[in-house]
Amino acid sequence: MNDGPKTETAQPTRPPEADWSVLMARGQQGDAASYRRLLQGITPYLRALAHRFGLSGPDLEDAVQDVLLTVHSIRHTYDPTRPFAPWLTAVARHRLLDRLRRRVRQIGRETELTEAHETFAAVETNHPELAGEAGRLKAAIASLPEGQRRAVEMLKLKEMSLKEASQASGQSETALKVSVHRAIKRLRVLLGGAQGGQ
Amino acid sequence: MAATDQLIEGLTRNLQPVKPLRKPGLRAALWSGFATLVIAIIAAVGGSRADLAHALPEVTFFVPLIGSWLTGVTAAVAAFQVSLPDRSRHWLWLPAVPILLWGTGFAVSCFSNPGDILASLALLPESACLLTIVLTSAALLVVLLPMLRRVKTLRPRLTAWLGCLAVAGFADTAHLLVHTEQDSLLALTVNLAPALALVVLGGLAGRKAI
Repeated sequence: MNDGPKTETAQPTRPPEADWSVLMARGQQGDAASYRRLLQGITPYLRALAHRFGLSGPDLEDAVQDVLLTVHSIRHTYDPTRPFAPWLTAVARHRLLDRLRRRVRQIGRETELTEAHETFAAVETNHPELAGEAGRLKAAIASLPEGQRRAVEMLKLKEMSLKEASQASGQSETALKVSVHRAIKRLRVLLGGAQGGQ
Repeated sequence: MAATDQLIEGLTRNLQPVKPLRKPGLRAALWSGFATLVIAIIAAVGGSRADLAHALPEVTFFVPLIGSWLTGVTAAVAAFQVSLPDRSRHWLWLPAVPILLWGTGFAVSCFSNPGDILASLALLPESACLLTIVLTSAALLVVLLPMLRRVKTLRPRLTAWLGCLAVAGFADTAHLLVHTEQDSLLALTVNLAPALALVVLGGLAGRKAI
């Protein structure tokens, strides 16, 4: 069985609809192996599609992940008697266009910094996130155990809901809550300790 | 890319089976059947207008009646279709002809006997007709909203707008069957103002409601 396009190109290759339809139908029945093959199979196609929408680098990968999450959360809307590719392409287009609209709005509100905005040559001056409280917080988060760090990143930094984070990490919502609770406790100790126990 | 692989691993680890949604046409038929049943109950309990048998053959009554009911059915079909990501947005136009029948049908009869529009608007909040429309709309929305929310649609605003149009159509069918005063500006106001309000509300609040 073909798992989908094997190479990443700027032009999305024609997806093998029949195979993907079968894999999705099995995924809807709870067959994890088929569902994994489907998601792995559609990922290069989604990358190519995102590339056509002008995305690249980390932004492109974020967009692909966003589409994969959407596919997962609305997989019950796929009708197994219909071809899979139009459904997938429609979902991807919706999400990619949403992302582009957000980007255009963001660009419209932003003013690019020029040399005149730089105060001192030191890196910390122009990148405050690397210095001061923010820098310490970043270092403290980086020092957390893997599970706690991921939970903080998803729930606090990326502001994902418990449900989304649970789907993305495969952990239960309760486990995520516990991880975040422990992480915050640990961060308090780390940051408080550096301030002389305050 | 490693993060994407991790995400796929996470999504498949505790995969639960899901039941695919029924065909949108079938879901629309089920809900339209329910709506028609509600209208029949309201007409039976509230008492349909006494001159119903006499009014039915009249074009000025029959056209808006059938137009409002068809608007409800076609808007429901369109709402369930556009709620799915792979269906065309052009389903939006399905209720266009029934809306024309519904609106122009009794607008013609109302404007032939105009009355006072300001007096009509002033009477609106006390109107028993309005109560019929509000109660019918509430009963239909209670069932329609969870059906549409279950889709987790990527077009919430359009879906909500069409859903509200469907509710407004059926609610007005109930109103036309129960109340007799259909040939004045008051009737026009009572028929169309709540429908317009509902449709506007659907468009505005759709993103949050659906």
